[in-house]
Amino acid sequence: MPTPLLEVRNLRVGFQTDVGLLTAVDDVDFILEAGKTLGVVGESGCGKSVTAMSLMRLLPQPAGRILSGEVLLEGRDLTKLPIDAMRKIRGNDIAMIFQEPMTALNPVQPVGMQIIEAIQLHEPTTPAKALRRAVELMEWVGIPAPEQRVNEYPHQLSGGMRQRVMIAMALSCHPKVLIADEPTTALDVTVQAQILDLLKRLQNETGMAVILITHDLGVIAETCDDVAVMYAGRIVERGPVYPIFAKPQHPYTQGLIRCLPKLDHPPKTTLPVIPGMVPSLRDMPAGCRFASRCPNPHSTDVLNTRQPWKECGSGHGVEACACFASQISAS
Amino acid sequence: MSLLSVQNLKMHFPVRGGVFYTTQAVCKAVDGVSFELKAGETLGLVGESGCGKSTVARSVVRLLKPTSGNVIFEGNDISTQPQSALRTMRREMQMIFQDPAESLNPRHTIGQILEEPFIIQKMGTRAERAEWSVELLKRVGLPADAMFRYSFEFSGGQRQRIGIARAIALNPKLIVCDEPVSALDVSVQSQVLNLLLELQRDMGLSYLFIAHGLNVVKHMSDRVAVMYLGKIVELAPASELYQNPRHAYTKALLDAIPIADPTQRRERQLLRGDVPSPINPPAGCAFGHRMKHPKWEQSVGMDLTLKEITPGHFVQPCPCCT
Repeated sequence: MPTPLLEVRNLRVGFQTDVGLLTAVDDVDFILEAGKTLGVVGESGCGKSVTAMSLMRLLPQPAGRILSGEVLLEGRDLTKLPIDAMRKIRGNDIAMIFQEPMTALNPVQPVGMQIIEAIQLHEPTTPAKALRRAVELMEWVGIPAPEQRVNEYPHQLSGGMRQRVMIAMALSCHPKVLIADEPTTALDVTVQAQILDLLKRLQNETGMAVILITHDLGVIAETCDDVAVMYAGRIVERGPVYPIFAKPQHPYTQGLIRCLPKLDHPPKTTLPVIPGMVPSLRDMPAGCRFASRCPNPHSTDVLNTRQPWKECGSGHGVEACACFASQISAS
Repeated sequence: MSLLSVQNLKMHFPVRGGVFYTTQAVCKAVDGVSFELKAGETLGLVGESGCGKSTVARSVVRLLKPTSGNVIFEGNDISTQPQSALRTMRREMQMIFQDPAESLNPRHTIGQILEEPFIIQKMGTRAERAEWSVELLKRVGLPADAMFRYSFEFSGGQRQRIGIARAIALNPKLIVCDEPVSALDVSVQSQVLNLLLELQRDMGLSYLFIAHGLNVVKHMSDRVAVMYLGKIVELAPASELYQNPRHAYTKALLDAIPIADPTQRRERQLLRGDVPSPINPPAGCAFGHRMKHPKWEQSVGMDLTLKEITPGHFVQPCPCCT
């Protein structure tokens, strides 16, 4: 089997806080193949963004650190690279776009300058050439009148245009992997559709792989090849998008899909819910973390022992808590 | 008779600037909006950001004084009432905000936050108010000991429950919900929506429900109004609007909803561009102008007030979009 483009193995990330070391990401693994889109879905605080940040080695310092595990980019372990080698990887090999482009862009510098900065950091070129390249990039991501827009400041652009600038900047050095952390959460549905369509088009043109982090299952269903469902720092279910939606195995995935208000749902009726809340990082059970909200009857053992990972179809696996492990059907 | 009747509401903001800080332009955030809301009914209001949804909400509860037009609540025109009369009126109408973290005072305990409406309305003794606050917490599914805690000790969903408890404290008839679940996670969102539906059934509340999540609006509303650039372009019973949209903008909005089912992937007609600025909006049909529709010019100078095409289904009668 050829080496996958990006492989994350047993990644654990912790934050040193006043109350001790809190493990925000606990034993996460996934594989990303070239040209594919992996969706990471989960609620706020489940560790999606921390996972993304640790792939880039951009965890807040000094509190955050990678406790163990490997991030293999074409076989090279990023967690062990020295800082300057890592700096070359960022942008060149892995690039990232963020949820709120207004806070990610520098408000006192024209957007063109910010794209040029990214270009010049990675390839030696003249300012004039870099400017021309910036204009081309902006045109490529669908910004109208790029010659004028290069000189504008972020506040002069709409939310959708700002996100396009972010994408142009991220793609300026042809990364192999693009991490998009909630790229459309702050945008309207119509603009969201434009941005998702743009990402898909750019992916087809460049062959890059995308990790799309979102809490919106609709976005996942429409754009991703594979899905990883995260809950409280762990991946509880992972697999190709079709079986995940057609035959979700984990009660959390099932709950998430069920509690979305659907257009064909009878209006003004009670929606299915997932009762309760995510347990606090401070008292995370060692075993199944969903047990306190799980609708299935279960014994207290599942809280204390780590539940095994079980494959239930090609590439489709689930953290098989004892409460439903016997019912797992191959999809 | 309807509980709330909004007639030709306009909210224009002057855009000032220059050396003498003169009015350089007018931002027509809401430009002639009319709708009715019956007791016990939910009217959904959808549209892209900047279309004036929140401005309508704020004008309805008179947090903003409308430039022109009337907001008639139970027979009284609140758009012209003096400030002093608003206090009694606000017993009947309350608001729930998008971000519960920002709409709850971080230095007040939940008890203080919930007692405040009673203090403002000069109701009850201290002991009674505390008792009522505990009742309210129970009503929204929070433990009584929340009284002595601060808002930052709660999760987003719980904070929104506190916001709801505060809104129902005075037994209002109308609650304006401005994006009440946009800041919440999916699993918590459905809990809060269920609570809102339950309260509506038990207390006979009317909601003006604003959200940009179209699935959520469909689920919550009896009727839905679609706003574009300060105007309502279509208003219809919820199921009718979603099954049989007539205005091109409504169709575009519905088409953009991502469907949580990978077997239903489809090519969509993407809307180009963004919502234009409400400063100097185009004449005629604003959406036809954005789409560069060949028939847009016919809409300039036309009377674009909503027309009823089938019972209860109103749509802007422009030649380009309908």
